Amino acid sequence: MIFREVEDRDLIAKARRGDVDAYSILVSRWEKRIFNYLLRLVGNREEAMDLSQDVFLKAWQNLKKLEDAGRFSSWLFRIAHNEAFSLLRKNRPEVELSGDPTVADRAPRLFPVELTLAVQGALTRLSDDQREAILLKVYQGFKFEEMAEILGCPVSTIKSRVYAALDLLKDTLAPVGARGVQ
Amino acid sequence: MTCSSIDLKAYVLGELPETERGLVAGHVRECASCGEELERLNLTHLALVSLRDEEAPRRIAFVSDKVFEPRWWRRIWQSGPAMGFASAAVLACAILAHGVLTQGMTRPAAVDTAAVERRVSAEVNERLNAAVAQAVNKAVSDAEATRKQESAALLADAEQKYEFQRRADLAEVAANLDIIRKEQARMFMASTGLEMRAQ
Repeated sequence: MIFREVEDRDLIAKARRGDVDAYSILVSRWEKRIFNYLLRLVGNREEAMDLSQDVFLKAWQNLKKLEDAGRFSSWLFRIAHNEAFSLLRKNRPEVELSGDPTVADRAPRLFPVELTLAVQGALTRLSDDQREAILLKVYQGFKFEEMAEILGCPVSTIKSRVYAALDLLKDTLAPVGARGVQ
Repeated sequence: MTCSSIDLKAYVLGELPETERGLVAGHVRECASCGEELERLNLTHLALVSLRDEEAPRRIAFVSDKVFEPRWWRRIWQSGPAMGFASAAVLACAILAHGVLTQGMTRPAAVDTAAVERRVSAEVNERLNAAVAQAVNKAVSDAEATRKQESAALLADAEQKYEFQRRADLAEVAANLDIIRKEQARMFMASTGLEMRAQ
């Protein structure tokens, strides 16, 4: 992991000097994480793929604005967050983003496993903000402070979203998780 | 440490420093309700992390392909549809180049595929029509020649037969005239008495 971070810094430095090949390696390292984050956020594979494309294009165009190469992941997820919520607002302009109960109905079921289906369904029943907080915390492993930087919110807001989401998920997933992990 | 002072969610999510983690773990061992709540949170977390990452349906097409994917000629060579398309493109270019070079036309600014297709189709139709017309003309002329030859042969045969018949008729007429002439001479001699004297 240490070597990986060092290499990322080196690649970022080269990419900022216009080295396309170095940026290509960065893309290959981060595309799966970004794609899965966007997929679980927008609930549509094609849209997630298009958004991923846009994220890496914007990252390339704005790479010189990144002041600290060590914060590349937070910066990249910040771009992904902005792209995803632009799409979500465009798709549902008349609906308040938080607490939308229709997400569960339109999101695809991705895996034919009962536990996985239950998790997918439970995630889609969260609001977009809550779901994104869980995605960044549980699946991407960011600290609350990093999430606050990515989402442009106070840490207290981040904690509130994560904890509220956990309470909702707990009611659905704790019984399923108990069966699934035995 | 009391139940209200511990943060079980932060504990499960790994947000507590080691010192506080130890305090929470000690409290949970003694408090049944907090233990049950921690169990539910752990099960929830376990269920969440059971969701596996998916592979992206295709690579990010920005610049990554340049490094990690085969070179363009290898991709084309390994792809059946792409190879077919490339073949069709080469064929179309060859037809276009042929048309330009043979007709001495100036090359258009932009390749109009539909116009090229129409022109090629017209040229093919024109050549086909010319070949068909030539074949038809040759067949007709051959038939006419054969018919003339047969007619000439029949005519020559008929003329030969007619000539033969005419000569036969002339010979017969001449013979009859000779008989008549001799008969007239005999009758004339008999009537004049010269016949007796001659005998």
